[in-house]
Amino acid sequence: MNLKILILCVVAFLISCSSDDVVKKEKEEFYGIYRDFAKKSITGPTKSSRPLEGIERTSSWLSNFNQPIILISSTDFKNQATLIALGNNEEKLTWVSADGISLTYDQGILIATRGYSQDLYSLKYTSPKELFGSNRLSYKKVHRYLNSENKYNDLNFRCRAKKIPSKTIQILELELTIDRFTEECESEQYSYKNEFDLLAGTTIVIVSKQWISPANQYFLTYNMYAFQKT
Amino acid sequence: MGLIRCLVFASFTIFILNLNFTQKIVASEFEDTISLNNFGMPGDIDLPSATRLPDGQFSVSSSAFGGTIRVNLSFQILENLTGAFRYARVPGGRYKGYAWDRSFDLHYLVFKEKPIFPSVALGLRDFIGTGIYSGEYVVMTKSFGPDFKISGGVGWGRFAGYNGFTNIFSRSNRGGRDHGYGGTLETDNIFSGDNSPFLSLSYRASKKLQIISEFSSDGYYQEVSSPKGFNRRSDINIGIKYSVDPTLTVMATLMHMDTVGLTVNLGINPKNSPYQSGTEPAPMPILQKKYRSQDPNSEKDILAESKRLLKLEGIELKALKLFGNHVEVGIINRRYINISQMIGRVARILSLTTPPITREFQINIIDFKSNLVVSEITINREDFEDNELKFNGPENLFGSVTINNSNKLFFDNDQKEGNRLSWSFYPYLDLMLFDPDAPIRYHIGAELYGRYKVTPLTAISGSLRKPITGIMDEVKRGPKSGLPNVRSDFMYYHRDIGSNLFINFLTIDQYLKPLPNLYGVVNVGLLELMHAGVRSEIIWKNNKKPFAFGLDVANVQKRETSGNFNLKNEYYSTYLASIYYDLPRDWIVKFDFGKYLAGDLGSTLSINRSFNNGWEFGAYATLTDVPFSTFGEGSFEKGLIIKAPISWFTGKKSRAVASATIRPITGDGGAKLNLSKDKYLYNAISEYDTKNLQDNWKRVFR
Repeated sequence: MNLKILILCVVAFLISCSSDDVVKKEKEEFYGIYRDFAKKSITGPTKSSRPLEGIERTSSWLSNFNQPIILISSTDFKNQATLIALGNNEEKLTWVSADGISLTYDQGILIATRGYSQDLYSLKYTSPKELFGSNRLSYKKVHRYLNSENKYNDLNFRCRAKKIPSKTIQILELELTIDRFTEECESEQYSYKNEFDLLAGTTIVIVSKQWISPANQYFLTYNMYAFQKT
Repeated sequence: MGLIRCLVFASFTIFILNLNFTQKIVASEFEDTISLNNFGMPGDIDLPSATRLPDGQFSVSSSAFGGTIRVNLSFQILENLTGAFRYARVPGGRYKGYAWDRSFDLHYLVFKEKPIFPSVALGLRDFIGTGIYSGEYVVMTKSFGPDFKISGGVGWGRFAGYNGFTNIFSRSNRGGRDHGYGGTLETDNIFSGDNSPFLSLSYRASKKLQIISEFSSDGYYQEVSSPKGFNRRSDINIGIKYSVDPTLTVMATLMHMDTVGLTVNLGINPKNSPYQSGTEPAPMPILQKKYRSQDPNSEKDILAESKRLLKLEGIELKALKLFGNHVEVGIINRRYINISQMIGRVARILSLTTPPITREFQINIIDFKSNLVVSEITINREDFEDNELKFNGPENLFGSVTINNSNKLFFDNDQKEGNRLSWSFYPYLDLMLFDPDAPIRYHIGAELYGRYKVTPLTAISGSLRKPITGIMDEVKRGPKSGLPNVRSDFMYYHRDIGSNLFINFLTIDQYLKPLPNLYGVVNVGLLELMHAGVRSEIIWKNNKKPFAFGLDVANVQKRETSGNFNLKNEYYSTYLASIYYDLPRDWIVKFDFGKYLAGDLGSTLSINRSFNNGWEFGAYATLTDVPFSTFGEGSFEKGLIIKAPISWFTGKKSRAVASATIRPITGDGGAKLNLSKDKYLYNAISEYDTKNLQDNWKRVFR
């Protein structure tokens, strides 16, 4: 291939365009596959990363938000996002981030995610009232995922939950007495330990560490709306 | 005597296999490339083993040693059935000392390995073709612990080159290799002639490394008799396989203790997207009516808001009408390959924007190209909202959903929006494979595509192409003789066009929908590179049924080879009736019968395995009244079809699909017109039918 032909090919590639945004997007994605292969970057979804450590989490910071928010974070604090509530279906709240990730909670228990590659599609779980109302409990739990063929992939867990005596944590500038609730679950292939910090004497979850899926592992949730003025 | 030797060999094998009853080697769930041999089939180096690949795995592999180069495409067709297509350069032939050969293999795992018994497999190698690699085998494999595996078997044909003994089935006469037109099933030779034993041992030294030794009876007669080949010094092959990951394995070999070789195996499984259930943004969550503003909005406001929100989801809302307790919308889906997911997102937006009195969403799907209203899907609002977060929500909801052919014929408001013209300018790549002078021929160029909607159901569309570089215009072979050259003189078009600008196609397309179940299109103009004329297609499709009927009729005139408006004085007509059947378990069958372009009468059977995410692998064969000898090389029209959805690779929503049809031979018998894919109606209609929605319904809340 001589230089003239090479230049022509490059020019043809560079001036590629379309009047149709969908066609444009599809072509970009098509070429993106080769780019990704070249970069060896088929690794998974990009996640928002705003260091929580750099944010001064005070009541005045929280007062900047005029709608309820939660903070979520990976356990290493590298991937974090602020989510606002957009959905409410039978008191199950769905929180959405600016980059299109959503998490749905039933009174603090994470029951669905959307926008991650291995989403928790749905969850068969013990009611929060029953779970947080007991000191010790054994039960079954099923995590449901959609595979690449739009079929279900269910993970069946046997779980044991127990309440740990009250202790104190600091959130914002407040010192709170909490009841820690741990949930240990095991399936044939996987096991996890969820932790829920409940406002002492209540079933209100303030902070939790919950397992989503084998690929996404754990996420921390800070229920800031509990401290927001209505 | 032969039978006794066989029995002794079999007894010895079974004895060896039963020495240890421990755990077998477990293949990975989705991809397993370490179990592929030099032929791209389950095996060790050159020999087969009684194993299988993960269901649905598609493998591309290439091996090179001693002048031989093989490129193999293989597919795990069923759980126990593997098929492969191969293109090989074999030393000893008329193209610069080599022969170029296409071949097909099948491998069937009859019994899986049990604690005591070995697994057993049967295989046919090169059973359609000129027979260079033709051979059959029965092979058993037994694992001894997680790391050690032994395979032994008996082979016929190519497998019986050395150490042969009398046929165990008393079928001692094996016909010679077919040096004729190839492409036919050589049933007479199967399991005939002498047979030979073969054996292979493999040891997994680590998770990634496997060491293999084979005792191979393949004589490699053609290869060793050619100066381009190698010397066969021994029956032994030695190899080391290194698995980079389950999708990539590299193998280094010492073949017959003479020549070193290298094999690279790649495998992907449509069931295992790197993005699992996708990374497209989360849908709009349900906000129950008690939390929403109860202020009544005008229909205009609701339309505007719904349109805005649906646009964010990548869905075009074309019409919205409120009728008492139900709302009717017309939408165009341009981004979602998964229709159920798209429907779910439309219902979510309508749940947010329509007044509480609206109890039913009636969603009419308009096909983007034709403007025909294809399907009407009705969803009960309360059921939808109730099931959003339920564990079995999609299943609960599906019971109340109705899917029908829409009674509306076409959407007619688009003209007001002033978007009649669409165009694009992109590079294109044209590929031509299997020419012995240059096995991969290509043209890279630029393509200007344009489409103008004259009326809602009438469009003018065209494609201008300018080749920039490539070698497709250098084909030395001429067209076939014996039939009118409707397809096999394609090389004259590439030769005469060279690097000039040419009209790829230019047509007026008129769409029709005379009845809710009946769809039609008439194309007039330069239909494709080689033919111009009039073509019409009619499809009958009831959305509730898994089958459909079609009729494709055309009257064409051959285009001049320069790719301009000029036509030749060659006239052809074709009519083909089609039956489509979407079988359970993801198999799609199409049966065409009628008159093909060259005037021959016959039929085409195509079978595709489709995956819910848009992947498809298929094969087709056309048999007509044209004798194999008249068709020439390849004997009859056949091919393989691969369709890969872009969304599988990106995790994002996209309807784009990369597709390829691999035709081993281009002939004139069984030839059809080759219009651009969007001009064939069936695919556009069937994707909105009940079966497709039901198969993917689990995704409705994604």
